[in-house]
Amino acid sequence: MAKDQDKTILKMTVNGEPVEVAVNPAWTLLRVIREELGLTGTKEGCGIGDCGACTVLLEGKTVNSCLVLALQAEGKEVRTVEGLGTEENLDPLQESFIEYGAVQCGFCTPGMLISARALLDKNPHPTTEEIKVAISGNLCRCTGYVKIIQAIEIVAQEG
Amino acid sequence: MNEPKFQCIGRPLPRVDALDKVLGRAVYAGDISFPHMLYGKILRAGVPHAVIEEIDISAAEAMEGVACVLTARDIPGINRYGIAFPDQKVLAEDKVISIADPVAAVAAESPELARDAVKAIRVKYRALPVVTNPHEALAEGAPALHPEGNLFQYVKIRKGDVAEGFQQADIILEDTFQTQVQDHTYLETESGIARMDKQGNLILQTVSQGPFRDRAQVAAVCGLPQNRVRVIRATVGGAFGGKDDVSVQVHVALLAQATGRPVRLVFTREESLTTQTKRHAIEIWSRWGVTKDGKLCAMEGKVYGDTGAYAGLGPFVVKKCGIYLCGPYYIPAVKVDIYTTYTNNIIKSAYRGFGVLQASVVHEAMMDELALKCGIHPLKFRIMNALDVGLDTGTGQVMKEDCGIKATLKKMREVVMNDPTLKTHCEGLR
Repeated sequence: MAKDQDKTILKMTVNGEPVEVAVNPAWTLLRVIREELGLTGTKEGCGIGDCGACTVLLEGKTVNSCLVLALQAEGKEVRTVEGLGTEENLDPLQESFIEYGAVQCGFCTPGMLISARALLDKNPHPTTEEIKVAISGNLCRCTGYVKIIQAIEIVAQEG
Repeated sequence: MNEPKFQCIGRPLPRVDALDKVLGRAVYAGDISFPHMLYGKILRAGVPHAVIEEIDISAAEAMEGVACVLTARDIPGINRYGIAFPDQKVLAEDKVISIADPVAAVAAESPELARDAVKAIRVKYRALPVVTNPHEALAEGAPALHPEGNLFQYVKIRKGDVAEGFQQADIILEDTFQTQVQDHTYLETESGIARMDKQGNLILQTVSQGPFRDRAQVAAVCGLPQNRVRVIRATVGGAFGGKDDVSVQVHVALLAQATGRPVRLVFTREESLTTQTKRHAIEIWSRWGVTKDGKLCAMEGKVYGDTGAYAGLGPFVVKKCGIYLCGPYYIPAVKVDIYTTYTNNIIKSAYRGFGVLQASVVHEAMMDELALKCGIHPLKFRIMNALDVGLDTGTGQVMKEDCGIKATLKKMREVVMNDPTLKTHCEGLR
């Protein structure tokens, strides 16, 4: 068992808030986000970097947080689905996902939204092909992707 | 467009849970935690068929931070469960019949500790001959995997006179088809969290496609009356039939009951893939007869479904494969024999389509081949043989109302014929 003396203090910024958390050096960023910070919007679907359900932004870039050690986020900025928008002020992608039926079971949704956000931040008017590439690391088992792509396209056109 | 007449029907409405899901605040079973919570882990057999000679849990029990290690003798209720037929052991006794069979269950202070404790359990197996497909299962002298034998269910379908039907046929085709095992691959693996409340009731929050069925199975295993067990379905991250059967429920409940502490059990993807229910691999032999002007006259089939080590919903799924072997077509004479067998493979159960997909592999391949032999356009051939009002299915159900297949096929023909890019596909279609 990880004893307290084995732990290291990790300082990072999560969704704009500075956090300090004692972590075991072997813990992944995903584990710290979910279990230590209680931000359970980020999901684990496979634990080996295949499904993308655990996608978060690390310094603005998408990473599979199940493959990143928590300590690699030292001094860095992390953004999760909880930092995307609020009920009163949804991210346009969140609105569009609801409106265009891009959400079914919802387990891929947080990672999918994060990947889409990263794309639009870099490239506000992507082509359909660029959207497909951007979400190619995020598996969805319910929708068949059509409505997800459509929901992102709508935001890209309006944005 | 006309204004819809109703409040909901005809109006696009957002999913009730979509807002929670896009905000990341929808609560799935694996998202729930309680103070003082333990983490569960199951030791699986890893061997397909063997006698258990010895289970040594002493090293695991001695580990600091391990709250409990359960084996079959620790079960307060019955050591049996199953969605329709209670043929699954919660924890193995003297024998395992599938690599997925749970042998011991551990609860520990961290997921890593639970994993290490499971690795510290020593089990001595003596290997037994392995049954890997329905033919081996039905062969004389095959090891019986359950007391009732390896043939779980035999169903026969008889309609009309097949011998006479084939005599009328100008063209007869037969072939054997083998479908494969498939995993549902829901993004969320099987998960659950169980705890005892202050009154001694067991509260279980879990993935589920049937909380009341889960409750009945959990209560029997825990030796509790059903009114002392409460199953709450958490948000489910995809199921597709794969969360119909019990997965984590009985084990996580037992661990919470044994320790008196909340216990969370989340399967890894590997565990989900290698131990949980799958789509049936079915071997289907089938023979079809048709007149040279394109009228189906007889069909015969033998359906061998491998339901794995346990029935799950297998007997219904495999039976349905045989029942639907005619597809949506009218065939006057039908003879199908359907076998659902146990093997040492992983359990098969519900999966979208429920056996009908396996049948469609056969009837659609056959319809294409027969159309080709008759020199008739395959779509036209299907329209000619489609079920219609007054005709009956392979099991003799007379269509009192239109089942829609003919109209659907005709609509397809219309679309194809009106599309200039599909011109080459239209020859002989009218």
